[in-house]
Amino acid sequence: MTILEEPIKKVLTIRNYIGGKFVDSEGELIDVINPATCKVIAKVPLSTQDEVSAAVQAAKEAFPEWRKTPPLARARCLFRLKMLMEERFEELSRIQTMEHGKTIDESRGETRRGIENVEVATGIPSLMMGYNLEDVATNIDEYVIRQPLGVFGIIGPFNFPFMVPLWFAPYAVATGNCIIIKPSSEDPISQTKIAEMIEEAGFPPGVWNVVNGGRTVVSAMLDNPDIAGICFVGSTPVARDVVYKRCGETGKRVIAQGGAKNFLLVMPDADLERTIAACMTSFYGNTGQRCLSGANLVIVGEGLSEHEYNTFHKKVVNAFVNAASKIRVGYGLDETVQMGPLRDKDKKARVTSFIEKGIEEEAKLILDGRNVKLVGDWPSDCFLNPTVFEDVKPEMTIGREEIFGPVASIMRARNFDEAIEMIHKNPFGNAASIFTSTGKWARKFRYTVQCGNIGINVGIVAPMAFFPFSGMKQSFFGILHGQGQEAIRFFTESKVVIERWF
Amino acid sequence: MDEKGVTASTIISFAKKLEEESFKFYKQMAEKYTINKDLFLSFSEECRKTKSMLITTYEETISDALEACFVKGVDLSDYVIEATITNDTDYLTALNMAIKLEETASKFYFVTAEQSEYLLATISRALRKIAEIRSNRKNKLKSLL
Repeated sequence: MTILEEPIKKVLTIRNYIGGKFVDSEGELIDVINPATCKVIAKVPLSTQDEVSAAVQAAKEAFPEWRKTPPLARARCLFRLKMLMEERFEELSRIQTMEHGKTIDESRGETRRGIENVEVATGIPSLMMGYNLEDVATNIDEYVIRQPLGVFGIIGPFNFPFMVPLWFAPYAVATGNCIIIKPSSEDPISQTKIAEMIEEAGFPPGVWNVVNGGRTVVSAMLDNPDIAGICFVGSTPVARDVVYKRCGETGKRVIAQGGAKNFLLVMPDADLERTIAACMTSFYGNTGQRCLSGANLVIVGEGLSEHEYNTFHKKVVNAFVNAASKIRVGYGLDETVQMGPLRDKDKKARVTSFIEKGIEEEAKLILDGRNVKLVGDWPSDCFLNPTVFEDVKPEMTIGREEIFGPVASIMRARNFDEAIEMIHKNPFGNAASIFTSTGKWARKFRYTVQCGNIGINVGIVAPMAFFPFSGMKQSFFGILHGQGQEAIRFFTESKVVIERWF
Repeated sequence: MDEKGVTASTIISFAKKLEEESFKFYKQMAEKYTINKDLFLSFSEECRKTKSMLITTYEETISDALEACFVKGVDLSDYVIEATITNDTDYLTALNMAIKLEETASKFYFVTAEQSEYLLATISRALRKIAEIRSNRKNKLKSLL
């Protein structure tokens, strides 16, 4: 076992980045812990309301000049930011593993996905163009121009500390807005590292700000009248009852992405070997801490007799458990490791309580991840191994609620329609996948299912940067989504001009 | 994901080391056996380029949604090569060492290219390209015997 070199050698003190300067916060400092080693790697401030106000003021002051900056010049700042990120690709990736716990492959993948958003936003001179039509009436022309709105707030989650703020930030600044990012206080280092590149990339002071903290910062951002809109990714209760509601009350634009309970259907004609490989990533990638993770595996018996269905069911369950039981769990900087720890002890306790609830509700526990086996000698505080339940009913707690951990619930559906009904009865609508070799089922699935992101023989339906990251029902609150063209529309106002010359 | 499931990172690190060691090996060959100095130097330069190409391809392709098991059924200990030239190593022994090195390396690249084909197409293509370079190199070396 060889551990890749850790880029963080001593405990960092995280500072806010306001008006182009790193500044100390007056707020209390809390520990940032590497969940694999349980060592403190940084201290992050819980910033105050006044510090949010200072960042908003800096952004507000920077806005008039920044919006006047030609789009191509703004794009060049993003090109330079991309180059700086490429130069520090490995360092940025290893930091994510240290602060979050994910494996090094997952971290590098996250870095890449983040950079892709910067790349897409560099196309702003084309992406931001309006449209026009001559002679809408006699001698009258009409056109649309897209204009930035001012200051936006971006509130990031703990599960993708580098990538998720970049679903929004590059598009916001490319369109001429200024931003304030609040990273998760659990893993704030990645966003600090990006802030270190902002000046060198050529962004004027105040365009890109980072304020660290918790609820106080979120509340201050939501209530600040000078913030035009908020982008949030987190749990459904906060997305719906706090962010979406408060943005409605204060008249802000909002993208609020919430939780998920994603179903994966396995049809009798699925390519089993490849389906199982895709399922492992879907259920256990990022230790199940992603809103696109598989949660419920529904084995569908469409067209099979009772006996055939039982045989097929057994085959899928055995293959799934066999693969899950062999996943190597440990510190993500060990290249051989395939799954890292949960982000912290509390998250492990929460997932464990779901496992206990599953047992209590009489689902069949066929692989118990509470028996922690690790590659390497690490404290087990935040670790769980892959867990599998069989005979889970959709109304059970583990079949219904978001667990956000490495727990798979296997369910039965005698036919396709029954499986679709299960998906639709669940309040979430983030993602769903089907594994099949039949176009008819694939099309019906795509056409019918009320989820924002649909996978056909794909386990993790992660939209590329040039497509929106969608979501429906209790998984998304708002109209426009992050990434690509929808982000451009979100961060701009369409102004219509009707023109006649006498 | 079977017992020998290997992560992408492990494969790339192994390949990186393989190219670095091959780079050094051919540098030594060029210094010691001047009869084919330019050829050995060109092999060394190729190793530097293929390493860079592979790392770039990996970093530009890897996705957060990558299947955690990159390849399976591969035991990396099958591809560990000891190729060191000492003062006593004669030209023929060194050539045979180089041929063995290329045989083992091309096998490694062909196997991993095939195994990773449906996961990350660009990386698979890069691995296959290096396998072909290695295979051609082996033939060139054999012609020197």
